[in-house]
Amino acid sequence: MTKGPLALPVRLRRALYGALWAAPMPAWQLVFFAAPFALLTALSFWSVRNFRLVPDVSTAAWDWLLTTDYVRDTLLRTLAYAGGAAVLVTLLAFPAALAIAFVLRPRARAAVLALLVVPFFTSYLVRVYSWQTFLADNGIVNAVLRPLGLEVAGMLNSPFAMMVGYATLCLPLVVILQSMSLLAIDRTLIHAAHNLRCGPLRTVGAVIVPAARPGIVVGAVFAFILCFGDFVTPLYLGGGKHPTLAILIADTVKAGQQWPRAAVVALVMMAVLLTTALAALSFAYRRRGS
Amino acid sequence: MDTKPLVELDGVSKRYGAVAAVDGLDLTIDAGEFVAIMGPSGCGKTTTIKMLAGLETPSAGEIRLAGRRVNDLPVWERDTPLVWQSLALFPFLTVLENVEFGLRMRGVDRTGRRRRALSWLDRLGLAEFAGRNVADLSGGQRQRVALARSLVTEPPVLLLDEPLSALDAHLSVRMQAELKRLQREIGITFVYITHSHSEAFTMADRVVIMNKGRVEQIGAPKDIFLRPASRFVARFLGGNNLFAGRVARMERDGAVVTTADGSFRVARAAAAGVRVGDAVDLNVRSDRISLTQQTGWSGNEVHCRLVSEEFVGALVNLHLETAAGTEIVAQLQQRDLEMLDLSPGTGFVASWHPEDGHLIVPEAPQPLALAAE
Ligand SMILES: Nc1ncnc2c1ncn2[C@@H]1O[C@H](COP(=O)(O)OP(=O)(O)OP(=O)(O)O)[C@@H](O)[C@H]1O
Ligand SMILES: [Mg+2]
Repeated sequence: MTKGPLALPVRLRRALYGALWAAPMPAWQLVFFAAPFALLTALSFWSVRNFRLVPDVSTAAWDWLLTTDYVRDTLLRTLAYAGGAAVLVTLLAFPAALAIAFVLRPRARAAVLALLVVPFFTSYLVRVYSWQTFLADNGIVNAVLRPLGLEVAGMLNSPFAMMVGYATLCLPLVVILQSMSLLAIDRTLIHAAHNLRCGPLRTVGAVIVPAARPGIVVGAVFAFILCFGDFVTPLYLGGGKHPTLAILIADTVKAGQQWPRAAVVALVMMAVLLTTALAALSFAYRRRGS
Repeated sequence: MDTKPLVELDGVSKRYGAVAAVDGLDLTIDAGEFVAIMGPSGCGKTTTIKMLAGLETPSAGEIRLAGRRVNDLPVWERDTPLVWQSLALFPFLTVLENVEFGLRMRGVDRTGRRRRALSWLDRLGLAEFAGRNVADLSGGQRQRVALARSLVTEPPVLLLDEPLSALDAHLSVRMQAELKRLQREIGITFVYITHSHSEAFTMADRVVIMNKGRVEQIGAPKDIFLRPASRFVARFLGGNNLFAGRVARMERDGAVVTTADGSFRVARAAAAGVRVGDAVDLNVRSDRISLTQQTGWSGNEVHCRLVSEEFVGALVNLHLETAAGTEIVAQLQQRDLEMLDLSPGTGFVASWHPEDGHLIVPEAPQPLALAAE
């Protein structure tokens, strides 16, 4: 082969070829993440005069964040709700995933996994709305319970209703993620455990959970992220009585065009999510032994 | 002393739908024995060992461990650890925790299990790796962790499914010696599946040759090697020359067998139990065949032509063909070849002593599949 004038050293050509394939991802990140992020950061230092946004270098919004009690309370409440929902959904999903991965035969398993995608066909908003009709004091649940004398008042607009909403948001996804990670477990590990006198129930804790840990943690992280930023459930099932950071952002904007404050809250949310996700993932993929 | 055999398989079968993976298997293993199970791929070796461990339930027959019927005893209540071909070490546990696993399941307290696990790791030369992740070990080291994990509870019987097949030849030979020594020292019964003749013949007290879910022959390695009981075993072991024929007459010092390649004498010992007219296969090991270029020797002789030669280190396999189309393999020392003309097509006289012939009496109808083998 002869070298043309355009011939580049092999290493450089390889690097260029790799860069070509890798380019869309950084480009996407630049346009849809880095740029808005920079804008948001800048915005958090602007000020608001006469309901008008004015470019500025003011720390007013940050001061507000650090000194206002209800902002801190809302952050803690959001963390508690999202964390609680992640744990609850993980626990609810696990038996289902266990059955899908180890009890069902391949065809039934495929059918059930396909059915788990169906909830995503309807809008989450619609599904949460319909929970209102179920959980209201005069709703469907009480209509069924009343003749039995088991009527429950105040289900709607309670933490319980919010957990129902959060489960609606992320339970199917978490079941799918957990099932996939359980299906990926090498079955001989389970047989090996049985062979070493580990009974079926004990095998779940001793082998299945540790072997599927990355998938289980990733599922919980997804649930946490989705619930942490969710606006729909706190609004429609929490009745605004249990405001979360997402509601706080909406309120600060609606009440007096406080865009810098909204930006500050949004930045805090991002920081929390990033820290939690990184901590959880490093736990998920932690290796034993030196 | 308990005189009952440790492991008994009594007419055990395992069917998957229409396929019989194991078909009426009878096998008795005594305490402290090293039994190797061999056979072609798919003959039911793994299925047999899985039924012993309780990972498969027999479709028919009975399995007894120390005299107790265990057909319906679940895996986790048996004391039959298995060393897996894939090792199946727990990747989420350290080397030490892997070895401790079986003790933990038996409720041995923390210090007790640590001590016992460490002493096994030490015994297998793994003490310095106790805290490692199992993924960071070499193949041979992982192999030893798997052994330690199964042996730490000191079971009466250890099942091994091709444990050395993933190791390179060098390491495998070293592990063979180590395994055999270990088995002698601790006196545990080993049931050892292998594809390798050398593993089976060097380590085992008895070798079981299986074919299509059945036992073809059970015996001491030397007996199986010198006196294969069937055409299948002779072919499976290799290095055997078979001449199909009939017993023509009995003489004072043996018998005469007529085959398509002529009549051959066999010694008395080999002819015990056969009668005139019986269909038999005369078997002669390839290393017992001498080649000359002119006839006149007093033993059994057959004329043949050289087809090809195959170099195997210090030895050479010469492939020959008789006028009747029978293939003969003669195994010779490299230095014995120097006098011979080895161009293809050269005529030779293959000969052997009557004492080196051995008769295989086929069981009733010959299975057809042997022809296709
Ligand atoms: N779960 C199963 N379902 C259906 N058939 C099976 C199953 N397990 C094994 N078999 C069949 O049973 C036969 C024996 O299998 P087995 O694994 O015992 O063979 P093997 O002697 O261990 O072979 P190899 O030397 O290749 O490991 C094979 O024909 C195999 O296809
Ligand atoms: Mg096998």
